[in-house]
Amino acid sequence: MEFRPILSALMRSKVALVLIGLQIALTLAIVSNALFIINQRIENMGRASGMNEADTFMISSLGFGAGYDVKNAYAEDLATLRGMPGVANAAPILTVPMSQSGWSEGISLTTTQQNSDVGVAMYFIDEQGLDTYGLKLVGGRNFTADEITHRDVRSTSWPNIVMITKALGERLWPGQNAVGKQFYLDQEKPPLTVIGVVDRLIMPWPNISNRSGDKNAYEFSMMVPQMVPFGLQTRYLVRAEPGRVTELVKAVEAKLAQTNTSRIVREARTLTEIRAECYRSDRAMLIILIAVIVALLSITALGIVGMASFWVTQRTKQIGTRRALGATRGNILRYFLTENFVITTIGLALGAVLTYGVNLWLMQAYSAQRLPVLYLVGGMIALWLLGQLAVFGPATRASRVPPAVATRSV
Amino acid sequence: MFSYYLQLGFHSLKRNPVLTLLMVLGIAIGIGASMTSLTVFHVMGSDPIPWKSDKLHYVQMDSWDPNRAYDDDDQSMPPDQVTYRDAVALIEAGKADRQAVMYKVAWPVQPENRDIKPFQSLGRATSGDFFALFDTPFEYGNGWDRAQDKEHARVVVLARETNEKLFGGQNSVGKRVRLNDVEYSVVGVLKEWKPKIKYYDLTNGSFSDPEEFFVPFNTAIELKTPAAGNNNCWKNSAEGWEGYLESECIWLQMWVELENATRTAEYHSFLDNYVAEQKKLGRFPRPVNNRLPDVNQWMKDNRVVSRDVEIQLGLSFAFLVVCLVNTIGLLLAKFMRKTGEIGLRRALGASKPQLFMQHIVESGVIGISGGLIGLLLTWLGLMAVRGLYDYFDSVARLDWPMVLATIGLSIVASILAGLYPTWRACQIAPAAQLKTQ
Amino acid sequence: MLKMNHLSKVYRTHMIETHALRDFSIHVREGEFVAVTGPSGSGKTTFLNIAGLLEEFSGGEFFIDGVSVSGLGDDARSRLRNEKIGFIFQGFNLIPDLNLFDNVDVPLRYRGFSAADRKRRIEENLARVGLASRMKHFPSELSGGQQQRVAIARALAGSPRLLLADEPTGNLDSLMARGVMELLEEINRQGTTIIMVTHDPELAARAQRNVHVIDGQVTDFDEEPRLRVPENGRDTVATTA
Ligand SMILES: Nc1ncnc2c1ncn2[C@@H]1O[C@H](COP(=O)(O)OP(=O)(O)OP(=O)(O)O)[C@@H](O)[C@H]1O
Ligand SMILES: [Mg+2]
Repeated sequence: MEFRPILSALMRSKVALVLIGLQIALTLAIVSNALFIINQRIENMGRASGMNEADTFMISSLGFGAGYDVKNAYAEDLATLRGMPGVANAAPILTVPMSQSGWSEGISLTTTQQNSDVGVAMYFIDEQGLDTYGLKLVGGRNFTADEITHRDVRSTSWPNIVMITKALGERLWPGQNAVGKQFYLDQEKPPLTVIGVVDRLIMPWPNISNRSGDKNAYEFSMMVPQMVPFGLQTRYLVRAEPGRVTELVKAVEAKLAQTNTSRIVREARTLTEIRAECYRSDRAMLIILIAVIVALLSITALGIVGMASFWVTQRTKQIGTRRALGATRGNILRYFLTENFVITTIGLALGAVLTYGVNLWLMQAYSAQRLPVLYLVGGMIALWLLGQLAVFGPATRASRVPPAVATRSV
Repeated sequence: MFSYYLQLGFHSLKRNPVLTLLMVLGIAIGIGASMTSLTVFHVMGSDPIPWKSDKLHYVQMDSWDPNRAYDDDDQSMPPDQVTYRDAVALIEAGKADRQAVMYKVAWPVQPENRDIKPFQSLGRATSGDFFALFDTPFEYGNGWDRAQDKEHARVVVLARETNEKLFGGQNSVGKRVRLNDVEYSVVGVLKEWKPKIKYYDLTNGSFSDPEEFFVPFNTAIELKTPAAGNNNCWKNSAEGWEGYLESECIWLQMWVELENATRTAEYHSFLDNYVAEQKKLGRFPRPVNNRLPDVNQWMKDNRVVSRDVEIQLGLSFAFLVVCLVNTIGLLLAKFMRKTGEIGLRRALGASKPQLFMQHIVESGVIGISGGLIGLLLTWLGLMAVRGLYDYFDSVARLDWPMVLATIGLSIVASILAGLYPTWRACQIAPAAQLKTQ
Repeated sequence: MLKMNHLSKVYRTHMIETHALRDFSIHVREGEFVAVTGPSGSGKTTFLNIAGLLEEFSGGEFFIDGVSVSGLGDDARSRLRNEKIGFIFQGFNLIPDLNLFDNVDVPLRYRGFSAADRKRRIEENLARVGLASRMKHFPSELSGGQQQRVAIARALAGSPRLLLADEPTGNLDSLMARGVMELLEEINRQGTTIIMVTHDPELAARAQRNVHVIDGQVTDFDEEPRLRVPENGRDTVATTA
């Protein structure tokens, strides 16, 4: 409506313009970058592990004493666990997704390849592992009971069959069926043959930084048909019947402790707890960022309300004069809304530059990604709305200034 | 005169309570946010052993894969642990003033007292120099000496809490403790020792709990105790425990104490020579790349202060700027609204310095109230941070320097914020009252 | 053009009721130049505000161009003000943040004229008051008399048929006051009806008709317009009951 006079009037009070503009610019820069980070974290946290998380928990047993036999412990414990009421299945494991600890290896496709750049997380399971984790087999077959062997941690040989995830297969043999294919973990030893492919099973460390540029690298996992004790420690994954996990954690803990007294039963943790722990700092960052955004928007909105109120008071006579000269209430209301729009727009223009400045800093110092324009536009729209909303009160007050003020006020 | 200004300030603040509240809260929230993250940043990054952090050096040697650097993100960084072979060779050479090799072990503790159930306990297998190296405080007894290291002595140093658990806090030196079916005799009990950052083993979590017991390194090796911490291999090793000890797997941390820069340089060239010798044996296929970072450098290398914390710090200070700009705007609005009054005071003989004082006192009052509320918010904020990150328990705490910094920051911030509006107010002409429009 | 019958205006503040106008009747015809005089607080500004639709009245009747205004809403009154009435204030009431061009532009914007039309009117009227060359100046850079001339240009820009002036010379020295008065007389000659409140008997005497207000009532009212006062006839005081 009347941009130019508003703009030139604003130019007469540059300081106020600079202050509000700067505030809006900074707010935009922070809000859009924070929103971007938030969204990335949410995406991260929302990634499915590929396994049944709701009904599973892991538990470890640490034996002691010269007489403690690990093989025996495996056999006894698995029989005990699988026989317990409420237990759907149980399996010996080394680790679970998101637990942040485990075993990784590099894969080579030939015996001559110098540089293996495919890092893989190793899951050691028996024939019940697939079912206990709740994985979905999408090709080939599961291990059979007679294929399962015992492995000493220090052993250097590998069994000749494995199962892998679909993502890993796609990485190694793009577009082909991975079943029946071979690769090497140790180029001086025989290759391993893929007998089965599961849909998805993420690594124990899903937040790995991924320089190779493969965005599915966190899904590169393989399953080996072995039971691997760690010293005298054995570890199990238990899948409860739906809804009974909490009750079973305690029952299993007590039962295992009771069956063999020369051991310590520990680390009973549900997958839900493990997930929460894994993403704890992401969640913390998320909450902090949201708090910052809310506080920032409130401060900015209150600042706009404060400044606008001041301006209305300061310009009461001017408003009265405008009314006397024929401005309707709507005209006055619109004047202040437009004025706010102009200021906000100037601030946002500066803010757009600042936003990408902050993004550049994050990219350089923290290898963040480039901010999609969508976030900038979203932030801008939010701030436009915020500005209009904030100024609405003072603007309404302005529109109620009676025209007689023109002749009455000093 | 000052009390008159204070009185004027309070009066003026009371006249627009909403505006005053806005300004005070603005400063308080800005201060609260920035001081919360600054405290976390400050404590996390602070030197855990300031009296000798420059003398303690972590040993890094590049024994890694010829085809691939150890750290994808920073190709120039050698591995963050050493092999058993190298650790033993360096300890035997004994070129440093003090030296300690170490790794994390997990053993069951089997108390004599049958009433206490066996429990798993995390300990550290290390050299006798460890205690002097890191100045660990002893409640009873001492560590063990290098001779006992050599003899694989069955001795143990207990942390205060373990001693509390096993012996009710009594002097247990000379008593026996059973760990993983082996008997050890207690030689020392530590006082409370909880560095805020577990700087001596950053490879297994910077904020992990301290160890519950310490045993001689060679004893743990003799008992074939696997590392409970990180273990990385680039080359396949031979079968069994012996094969593992001979392998290129890295799983040990090594620290040396070097009195001064000359000694450090000497030790550095010793390392270079050692690597050159090993190259002749066909090991160390990569270019020579030895490092001896001191404690603070090592903490930086390991990003003890996480990216998130740094981003939060940047963010919160930008937030503080927004709050300050906001306060400047509001204060300016407020002082400008008083144009008439100021003009009148000028006409009645108030000098510019007097007016300046009057208004700067008013902004100072806002700043101090903002700072005090900000301090409260910082305290609440840190509580929230401790709730959000479980392992920040030791770092997200206010200390006196931070309390003073908070108050200082808020006063400086509000005076800064008040300066321009005050200056503007003082520019008002004495006749402003009389010449409206 | 403007007719008030038995108009009353009561201000209510807290406990006190102020009868600013009572039984106030007046009839101003097209093309007249009416001067309103009276002691301070007698209700002159109140009358002018009601005449200019800035305030509502409490009782009686008020017609502009034969149309009763009592039923009009706020927007309609604004439009009427904008189209038919021009205002000149004692304090000039220029908008300090706008230059002269934009100040004169204010009522034209609300009127919704085209940009070209507005520009023509602004330039024409600023030229008329002799300030065409200072279009880009701000009010603070002008003398009081010049500011009042800008205010007159602003009042005239929309070609109102009625010009209301509340002590337009109250803040000016006599020389400047005379200049402003001459400008108003010229405007009146060109057909604009003017009602002017003044404390200056000399200026009042130059108007065609005088209305004297005391205690919210018209006490002295020239029913018929007097002869135009000669330019130099400063001692000709007309008093017709
Ligand atoms: N908004 C108001 N509220 C209450 N009383 C008012 C208001 N405006 C005017 N009055 C009162 O109405 C009466 C008439 O005031 P008005 O301004 O019309 O006088 P005036 O003739 O213009 O005086 P002056 O020559 O001093 O300008 C006065 O007694 C005044 O106090
Ligand atoms: Mg008056």
